[in-house]
Amino acid sequence: MSAGVSPRPWWVPGGVIAFGGVMLYGATQLGQSDAHSGVGPGLFVTIIGIALVVLGVALGVQVARGVAFTSPEGEDAYGEVDDEDRTHRGPLLLAIASLAAPLVLMQAAGFPVTAAVVFAGVARAFGSRRPVVDILTGAVLGAVAWFFFNWLGVNLGPFLPLLSER
Amino acid sequence: MSTLDLLLHGFGVAFQPINLLMAFIGSLLGTAIGVLPGIGPALTIALLMPVTTSLEPASAFIMFAGILYGAMYGGSTTSILLNTPGESGSMMTALEGNQMARRGRGAAALATAAIGSFVAGTIGTLALSFVAPAVSELAFIFGPEDYFALMVLSFTTISVVLGNSPLRGAIAVAVGLGLGVIGIDAQTGQSRLTFGSLDLLDGIPFTIVLVSLFAVGEIIYVASRGPERSSGMNPLSGGIWMTKEDWKRSWKPWLRGTALGFPIGVLPAGGSEIPTFLSYAVEKRLSKHPEEFGSGAIEGVAGPEAANNAAAAGILVPLLTLGLPTSATSAILLSAFQGYGLQPGPLLFVNNAELVWGLIASLYIGNFMLIVLNLPLAGMWVRLLMIPRPQLYAGIVIFALVGVWGLSTSWFDLLLMFTMGLLGYAMRLYDFPAAPVLIGLILGPMAEQQLRRALAISQGDPTALVSTPISATLLGLALCIVVLPPLLRYLARRPAGDDRYAASRPTH
Repeated sequence: MSAGVSPRPWWVPGGVIAFGGVMLYGATQLGQSDAHSGVGPGLFVTIIGIALVVLGVALGVQVARGVAFTSPEGEDAYGEVDDEDRTHRGPLLLAIASLAAPLVLMQAAGFPVTAAVVFAGVARAFGSRRPVVDILTGAVLGAVAWFFFNWLGVNLGPFLPLLSER
Repeated sequence: MSTLDLLLHGFGVAFQPINLLMAFIGSLLGTAIGVLPGIGPALTIALLMPVTTSLEPASAFIMFAGILYGAMYGGSTTSILLNTPGESGSMMTALEGNQMARRGRGAAALATAAIGSFVAGTIGTLALSFVAPAVSELAFIFGPEDYFALMVLSFTTISVVLGNSPLRGAIAVAVGLGLGVIGIDAQTGQSRLTFGSLDLLDGIPFTIVLVSLFAVGEIIYVASRGPERSSGMNPLSGGIWMTKEDWKRSWKPWLRGTALGFPIGVLPAGGSEIPTFLSYAVEKRLSKHPEEFGSGAIEGVAGPEAANNAAAAGILVPLLTLGLPTSATSAILLSAFQGYGLQPGPLLFVNNAELVWGLIASLYIGNFMLIVLNLPLAGMWVRLLMIPRPQLYAGIVIFALVGVWGLSTSWFDLLLMFTMGLLGYAMRLYDFPAAPVLIGLILGPMAEQQLRRALAISQGDPTALVSTPISATLLGLALCIVVLPPLLRYLARRPAGDDRYAASRPTH
């Protein structure tokens, strides 16, 4: 049993069933059959919706029985971290916040600035204690990536939108 | 033209200077990105996808071939040195390889992995060159109902094979299928499940799902596990090359691994997990030093690594001939084909012979380039892994941002990356496999198209789905895969003391 995972995560089967419900609701707006081909655009959606609901219920049964959601020893696909470690809330929230930063920053401030903020935030979430160095590293990495990929023909938006607008 | 002529022609394409350069850049970038922890071949290709958009299709796919082999090699380097396999196919390599590295024999492990990959990749590509055209001939007799049955079979096997729980695997497939229907229906032009959002009309981009589930979700997960204690080991202390004894113990596992990997990779539900597991089990059984397994047996690196690479070549057979992806890596390759308006399948060999054979030829070249490039550069890749963990992961996020933002500089893509990243974290936390989502996402629309085509021909009669021997057999197999394992478990449990099934299972 992993201590980081709550023993009865009802919201997981709940989420699967809810997704199935959205599919089924969406399917009601679409034709299930059609005069020419016999099958409309809604049929496949309906099938998937039903499958998701059924699988979600089956998962709910597993949850009710208290089945542990962890991989057997040695079969962890990544092997990086022991699953016994509990969830550390601070780093988790910081990592999520850093990854949300581009939503606010990317269009307004451009790639290098966003890269600096994200880099420093993620590095801190992983335990780095040198914010100034991290911000500079991120900015340099972002700028180098911008120029390198620009040279390769990848468009990463304006370099510094704040400057060009003034 | 015979296969050999076509292949020689393919070499003509691949040996053009620009394409050789692309193969070289691909191998180099592929290794450099693939060596980062947690980044497997599929993710490497996805991250480098924007780079190839300005290239001709033939050059782009030649670059992909380089990236693929480079990323696989990079992945085994990380597995051995850091014990962080980026995909399931290198889990077995990590098992023994990391033990060898801990004993200072990292260089020998890297070498046997590299040479084993080269041997297996070359034999596998050779087999691919001759098997693929034959299978593509066979594929012409496949009707829509046969294709549909084949895809149902691969959905069920993927659910069972990938991950630790068939139920969670099936849910992952279904979620991928669900994400796949979002957007404009290709046949009627109606928008499905977009709920008025213009951004959703084009559907959910495959690359973003892949990058978010594999990289973003993984990074949130690893960060949430808290700081890691470091192991101050020097993986290269025990000399930098294989000893004579190492060679003697490696060459047979290389060949056996290849023999297991390629045929299983060819199967429409193969993937690279089963052959690497099997190869490990076989080597453990045949080894003269079974006691070394678990603490650094070189056979345990040589065999699975060869099996992994041979399977990677085998996986290209169903991908190129049937358009059927059976791993995350081949799913991303399929999405790259679709990005160029190409649909893999039997017609690809007829209509785009130059591209297909150029790609196959470049697999030989990429493979060769890699061994030339990487045996001497191994030390440099090792140094790349000395970057402190916080900065290493932060750098990976920057790469992920390039991959997503570089697609079309769309804010909505960033939002998708964030939400899919959270989904990836939840899936990681509750041990749902991510690869089935990707396969469902890319294969779902194709399965639907075949289903509707089959039902249109039969004017809506569902019995058409089992009307041919091929489709009936394939659907029967799919049913067996779902029903048999629980049934056998039930039967084995019922009569007390009768453990025939339990006993007969480990011996494949």
